[in-house]
Amino acid sequence: MRPGRLIAKAILALAGFLAVFPLVWTALNALKNNVDIITRVPRLVFSPTFANISYILGRDSVLTGLYNSVIACGSAVLIGVALGLPAAYAVARYPNRFAGDIQFFVLSLRFLPPVAVAIPLMVIWLQVGLYDTLPALIVTYSLLTISVIMWLAMPAFQAVPKEIEEAAFVDGYGAYSVFWRIALPVAARSLAGAIAFSFVLVWNEFLIALMLSSSNAKTLPIVASELSQQGMNVPWGILNASVVLLSLPPLLFLGVLSGFLNSVFRQKKT
Amino acid sequence: MRRRSSLPVTFLVPTLAILLVLSMVPTLYAIVIALQNRELSTPGYSWVWFSNFADLFLDRRFLNAVWVSVKWEIVTVVATMAVAIGLGVLMFEVASPRLRNVYCLLFIIPVLLPRVSAAFVWKFAYHPLYGIATYPYRLITGGLIFDPLSKASTALFAVASVDVWQWGLFFAVIVLKLLETLPPQPIEAARLDHAKRWQIHAYVTLPMLKAPLISLMFVKMIESLRSFDLIYVMTRGGPGVATETLDMYAFSQGFIESGKVSYASAMAVLMMIATVITFTFLWKRVQA
Repeated sequence: MRPGRLIAKAILALAGFLAVFPLVWTALNALKNNVDIITRVPRLVFSPTFANISYILGRDSVLTGLYNSVIACGSAVLIGVALGLPAAYAVARYPNRFAGDIQFFVLSLRFLPPVAVAIPLMVIWLQVGLYDTLPALIVTYSLLTISVIMWLAMPAFQAVPKEIEEAAFVDGYGAYSVFWRIALPVAARSLAGAIAFSFVLVWNEFLIALMLSSSNAKTLPIVASELSQQGMNVPWGILNASVVLLSLPPLLFLGVLSGFLNSVFRQKKT
Repeated sequence: MRRRSSLPVTFLVPTLAILLVLSMVPTLYAIVIALQNRELSTPGYSWVWFSNFADLFLDRRFLNAVWVSVKWEIVTVVATMAVAIGLGVLMFEVASPRLRNVYCLLFIIPVLLPRVSAAFVWKFAYHPLYGIATYPYRLITGGLIFDPLSKASTALFAVASVDVWQWGLFFAVIVLKLLETLPPQPIEAARLDHAKRWQIHAYVTLPMLKAPLISLMFVKMIESLRSFDLIYVMTRGGPGVATETLDMYAFSQGFIESGKVSYASAMAVLMMIATVITFTFLWKRVQA
């Protein structure tokens, strides 16, 4: 048993190392001068520079991309919350004949290949004159955020003990105030996880943004990928810095999302 | 008192109406475009009905893309599930509760990264001369060059490894949480019967988790359809057409090479039909 356990622990440690090391290395490279990156033997000791980071933060294209990403994703998530949460509550608490079909419909939106949505939308937005604008991107992303928030919020609302809501009804609360004052606050933690997840999803989205923007509405992932199209002419340190900038916002939600995972599985247990 | 409320209607109808419009308009329009001969460079178009679809089946690059996509699905789904179950069981067996929490946090990080970031991170790491992932090979062989992304035989696996890095580690966390929800009695019983550790998992715990594991695989199959970002950044479908999946080919036909929007849309429509049929069928099986 002993050597087996040791090997198992070593494999786990290696996996843990592999999970974060590539990212740490990227962050280190973002602090390096080009001479310290283009080396046959990787360099751990180097004199750090902030030139890459300040270059990235000083570029108009990056700042525009950041602004577009924040506005497009933020608005789409707000729309997703406003429309998805109430709908999820209605499905979870007011069972009807169509509940199964509605669930399947919401999930099936995830099967749609992104290209199949992006090509016709591009033609449509071109005809309407909204191609390469943020509103077009926000409307398109809303499809993603509404369906994902709805899908994840349904179990969250179902997990709210029915007795609390029944007690509120007895106290004379109406259906809407039960939703606002009871269900929303009680389920708040799981709902925060669902909302954070939908934000990460659209923040990371690439294909649709690539097809629906040409210059004005480019989001940060597109700007970052374009930096690399210039090949080796762009110093690697700058590319690494842009990768780090792009990756930071989703990582901010690490705590919320792992708490969300825990709460999902704790519910299953009871 | 619940039943007479107007809440279900006011909460559901607007949302479902918007979702229906947002999803059906592009879907139906994709079919309309696929039956025409639109190109980005010329404004006019006419109806060509099914000739785009007929052309597709004679297009060897399209058939190659179908095959690459199928390979991608199989490789990423199988490898993700293998890594997830392997690491999940190992954590369950040898990690203390505190260590489990640490691993869980670490293993969630890759999946949170934008695919574009993950692709860049590994593109740098796989660089034949300066990459950190190819460094051990250079060290052992005394400076030989190994370029996984530009060899036709390895490129698909190199890109797939990034996908498994993101999803396999994340799913390992879920497998661990699933194992933790199991009642301890059957495991104790098997232990009293002198079952070995691996036997306990192979014959007791994993069969008990069959349903959630199949659902997990279903989720991964859906997410594996979104390979475009990784392939676009890492190989652009190359070398040659070795990693050209359907969405990559549709994109390059529609936007990079020729601007044949209708042709690309015909491809997208076929993909859509295939995935909707497959996943509807699988979903009914999973639910049953």
